[in-house]
Amino acid sequence: MGYRRRRSEQNKNLDDLTGSTNKKEPKQPSFSKLSDNIDYLTQALMLSSDLKVRILQDGTAAILFFESLADNEQMQEQIFNPIEQGKWGSISELPHGSHTEDLEESLKNLLQGHAVFIEDGNKKLTQFSVTSVFNRSVEEPDNEKVVRGSHEGFVENLMININLIRKRIQHRDLIMRYFKVGKKTNTNIAIAYMDGIADPKLIDEVVRRIETVTADEILSPGYMEEFIEDSTFSPFPQVLSTERPDRVVANIMEGRVALIAEGSPTVLILPATFFMFYQSPDDYNSRWFSGTFIRLIRLMSFVIAIGLPAFYIAIIAFHYEVLPFDLIIPVKSSINDIAYPPLIEALIMVVLLELIRESVLRLPAPVGQTIGIVGGLVIGDAIVRAGLVSNLMVIVVALTAIASYVVPSHELSTSLRILTFPLIIMAGTLGFVGIVFGMMFIIIHLSKLESFGVPYFAPVSPLRLKDLKDTFVRLPLYLLNTRPKDARPQKMKSMGKSREWKNRGKSK
Amino acid sequence: MANPSNTSGTQSQQKRQKISLRQFFFLIVQTQIGVGVLTLPYDLQKAAGHDGWISLLLASLLLQIVLLFFWLLAKRFPDKDLPQYTEKILGKWAGKVTNLFFSIYFIAVAALVLVLYSRILKLWILPETPKFVVVFLMIMAGIYMVCCSVTVMARIYTLLSGLLVMLFIALLYVLTEIQIVYLLPIGKAGWTNILNGINAGVLSFLGFIIILFIYPFVQGNDKQKLKTIFFSHWFVLVFYLYTLFVTFGFFGPEEIKLVPSPVLYSLKAFEFSIVSRLDMFFLSIWVVSVSTSFTAYLFMAGTTFTRILNAKSSKHFFIWSAVLILAVTYIPGEGKEDVEKFGSMILKFGYLFSGILPFLLFIVALLRRKRTQGSDTK
Repeated sequence: MGYRRRRSEQNKNLDDLTGSTNKKEPKQPSFSKLSDNIDYLTQALMLSSDLKVRILQDGTAAILFFESLADNEQMQEQIFNPIEQGKWGSISELPHGSHTEDLEESLKNLLQGHAVFIEDGNKKLTQFSVTSVFNRSVEEPDNEKVVRGSHEGFVENLMININLIRKRIQHRDLIMRYFKVGKKTNTNIAIAYMDGIADPKLIDEVVRRIETVTADEILSPGYMEEFIEDSTFSPFPQVLSTERPDRVVANIMEGRVALIAEGSPTVLILPATFFMFYQSPDDYNSRWFSGTFIRLIRLMSFVIAIGLPAFYIAIIAFHYEVLPFDLIIPVKSSINDIAYPPLIEALIMVVLLELIRESVLRLPAPVGQTIGIVGGLVIGDAIVRAGLVSNLMVIVVALTAIASYVVPSHELSTSLRILTFPLIIMAGTLGFVGIVFGMMFIIIHLSKLESFGVPYFAPVSPLRLKDLKDTFVRLPLYLLNTRPKDARPQKMKSMGKSREWKNRGKSK
Repeated sequence: MANPSNTSGTQSQQKRQKISLRQFFFLIVQTQIGVGVLTLPYDLQKAAGHDGWISLLLASLLLQIVLLFFWLLAKRFPDKDLPQYTEKILGKWAGKVTNLFFSIYFIAVAALVLVLYSRILKLWILPETPKFVVVFLMIMAGIYMVCCSVTVMARIYTLLSGLLVMLFIALLYVLTEIQIVYLLPIGKAGWTNILNGINAGVLSFLGFIIILFIYPFVQGNDKQKLKTIFFSHWFVLVFYLYTLFVTFGFFGPEEIKLVPSPVLYSLKAFEFSIVSRLDMFFLSIWVVSVSTSFTAYLFMAGTTFTRILNAKSSKHFFIWSAVLILAVTYIPGEGKEDVEKFGSMILKFGYLFSGILPFLLFIVALLRRKRTQGSDTK
């Protein structure tokens, strides 16, 4: 619990440093009369029902706390036990209490779950951090499971999350900076980066953008994401969100910045590039052959997810001649009896699939399974028999759906499924030419996009051959001895020669 | 720590936009390889028979000299582009008028690219689709590509160059079927015909004028830039020679006279177990190549307009140029003759604008001792 106090002190220091977040905060010096102090605080909190005032020492002192925030056991342990044991004469003398003479400050601390002790005739307010914390354990996140490697995941508590990062980087260059965002919610957020690796200009930019957020509420990192990302009118996520500490640490070590928010297990990593969404910690835990293979499959899934239905429609609707002779008859016989043009057919199928996906996601697991079976098997089978959709279209759309789920990041997978629609329409109206133009627009968009001044499609566009070693393939770790240039790290080299032992062994 | 693209701000945009030598290379290559690659063998054989490749070689040698002058001209003004130093060399008003002609030329070429492209699409893939649709799509792609910065354009061009490899590989299949005999005897067409063929050869290389626009953005010293210019020139030459050999060797001297787009027809002849009609895929990739050449001309036209009016932002000028280009594509009719007439007329101006005029500019600059201040001391 000690960190809580430390945090409030650090906050104070930080506020002095940055000076901007709390500059306009009102100050109210405390009164020497007990009742004045209590009146001020209770009035400020509008006599909220869960605010408790416990009168002590025959009415010459009082302790204020939110019964909903404070933990009774801790109050007993921290405040009353030492007094009962007689080590200290008065509560205000207890060493772990922090002191202030500003009622506004103690008000803020009350709202964080502190207990405030006030004595008659004494201006000094003593605060004890007795917040009750309900934390779940650091379990592996459901949506980012790995086979090998760490199974820890972030939780909703900022301090525990920072602890998970600090435990992994035990170096003095790991810097945390705290901010308070959300004028009403007062959400604590922190950014973490490596001093000496991360580009200082990048840090300045991140800080600048965070400080301009003036929203009343910041409930989750998703809010922050939309406030600080470069182009909100892009289907592609420009900030990587993850719940895995190992992923965050790896990215911090590449010179990126992690943004952690109180109350959410999702950590944002910025700047993000397109190919980061295709990397998974699993790639680095397995042998590099398998890591490369799986990554290539994933990248292939990108092409399948956005291109396959469009390609199929283009062939069926425009370019029959592309099919080899032996395939023409089976294809033709499959789509001959379908009443609708392939474009409509595909749209029916894709929308149906999205409906099933969304309903399964929202329903409790046992019902979800039923819907999955009804949707997938029953409707899938019946829709073909009814002659609404052809066999081949079902195969194509199912493949596409599977391919879109291969992406290790949920946001990108959604964007991919959305991008399928314009491509289907382009292919349905202009055939191959439509696909080419659709793809070209996507590629131009990707090349144009920047995240915090960093090209989004790096290292492919702008091309940097050296960084491709961890993009399409994953070379052995000792060959990944420089950091990728896209985040503009200050120190490119990430390791010296680490397999020297081999040469040394030979020469002797 | 070289960190050119972090701070936002429009006033220093020119300075912070830098492109690498590799991107410079691909910008030139992608501008040159475009619409013409499908019909190049046909055009060359019309003039010089199966010795068209000699014409192409001679043309490239000739252009080597032109490129050298381009380089000398660009070197004198290391931080300015063509329309900027036309004004500097010729004086304000004469320069503006010249620039106006330049921009008209660029718009005409861009329109020609669109006309040829829409014609080929109509013949091969989309017979029923109105010309406006395909042309409009291309223009939208062009505006989207050009409407940001040279850096982004260079990135995209480099990325799309990967597709050239695919074109190369597609033609490899044809290469297995060629007959070397069709290329023999060398020099049968006679020197006059071969020299006549140089015309068609030169025209296929047009587009290198982009050098004069991009040069100030390129990182590197002048020598490296010259090397890159020559390398890109040779790359295009090799690519063209390759298509020539493949198609000449595949069709033979009599057959090729009947085939207006020999590259596509040669691919059409093949059938694979996975796909038949490779030409469809070739054509789709070719559309990308066309878009890069078109965008380059759109870029040059828009930039020239911006310079003429001394405007700060060139965004609107790109859109206006695009509208003009769209209008110009409707000037020639749909027929084969009309298109050819329109084409040959515009391409003749190519000699003036991509050869003679820059050369004259260089001479005048030399005589009037014009160059950017500060570069003398270097």
